[in-house]
Amino acid sequence: MMRFHYKKAVSLEEAFEFLSQNTDKARILAGGTDLMMDIREKTGYVRGMEVVYDISGIKCLSGIREKAGVITIGALTTHAEISRSPVIGKAAPLLAKACSLIGGPQTRARGTVGGNISNASPCADAATALVALDATVTLTSLKGSRQIPIGEFLPGKEIFEPGEILTEISFIQLKDTETSAFVKLGRRKALAVSRISSAVILEIEGGIVTNARVSVGAAFPVQRRIKGAEKLLEGRWPDDEAIKAAGREAAREMLFITGERWSTEYKEPAVGTIVERCIKQALVVE
Amino acid sequence: MEKMIVNFIVNDEPVSVSVYPHETLLRVLREKLRLTSVKEGCGIGECGACTVILDGKAVNSCLVLAASAEGKTVTTTEGLMRNGKLHPLQQAFIDHFSLQCGFCTPGFLMTAKAFLDENPHPTREEIKMAISGNVCRCTGYHQIVDAIESLSSEKREQVIDAIEDAAGRLDGGEQECPAHPIKHTH
Repeated sequence: MMRFHYKKAVSLEEAFEFLSQNTDKARILAGGTDLMMDIREKTGYVRGMEVVYDISGIKCLSGIREKAGVITIGALTTHAEISRSPVIGKAAPLLAKACSLIGGPQTRARGTVGGNISNASPCADAATALVALDATVTLTSLKGSRQIPIGEFLPGKEIFEPGEILTEISFIQLKDTETSAFVKLGRRKALAVSRISSAVILEIEGGIVTNARVSVGAAFPVQRRIKGAEKLLEGRWPDDEAIKAAGREAAREMLFITGERWSTEYKEPAVGTIVERCIKQALVVE
Repeated sequence: MEKMIVNFIVNDEPVSVSVYPHETLLRVLREKLRLTSVKEGCGIGECGACTVILDGKAVNSCLVLAASAEGKTVTTTEGLMRNGKLHPLQQAFIDHFSLQCGFCTPGFLMTAKAFLDENPHPTREEIKMAISGNVCRCTGYHQIVDAIESLSSEKREQVIDAIEDAAGRLDGGEQECPAHPIKHTH
């Protein structure tokens, strides 16, 4: 069993102060669903850790706000809160869906969206949806705040400067002309870690896809947009042929990035199928 | 490492315990407070055997540091009984043969309790989703879903009975209805 001190943050200001002085010794505890596993498994992430710094009591880091079409989610907002939020259900249903499929109910009650993307496992479901949403991540320290596109933020851990905390995540709500979906494939139906996940946002005008955002998680080292697949969908009627081509493009890109592996025979068609399925769900044809 | 004092409410009683910072809530509940209904299954938040209700929410106590429970309210299966009588959920689990070895049962009870408190009239599908974070290797789950469903439908039947009574009184009592006005559906 690892030994360490425990300290609970009383305010955001105190947290900035404490973390800037204890960057190497402290690890942040939010929902604990990942950190407690790291402690148990003594992973590299907790090597040298002397204190668990619990920020879960900082109220201003929790909650969902909407202002002028921009949705802002506090880093400590739990997966359960996001998946049940009427604001998210309307503004970004793909994110609500992604968060509703993370772990089981007990994990969703504790796990936070900030933790999900900071820990930045390739299979973090919220991250796949947030990449499709072109979300912006806000990192704050005593020196002030900086905003980073999620595509540059991932894979999380390394980007933090001493004393920085991920404070919020924001994105522009979906337009009335946009439709979205999130699909994941796990090894079982419930409580599953994603093997492949996909999030899709399509803007449709007069039956034609005018703008497509396709992201894939778990099959890549980091969740990423599949620009090639997006191009294949844009400017045309989204028929079966276009959807299949987009799926094939995602599989091709996976092979290009990760190379041939023992799992390729299965994963190549599976990635294509999950992306196709996600596009079809966004189009409400499946 | 220094020990620290944690004050919290466990099964309606205020408790102060001395804990190490690295001790989990699971360990403290079981070993210090002797609340042995809380089981350690996997220890990594996958099986739900250690589920307790923390401030109204079902959580895996193996993933909670005891130190972080300061000021919070915890309910375990020991806290379900009232005046020496089993909680209706416990009785329902017995009536529907929802346990065999019993190891997972306290976790299921706490998950079901938190779930029914939030959603008193769930559908069968909602119940299955609600217990998806708890693993049972004996029952095959159907009996557990039956037990939870029986409580929700029992409540529904009470409402329906009350409506029928009221309707009966309006009709003038004993008269037999030609067609039953309310169908029991699940």
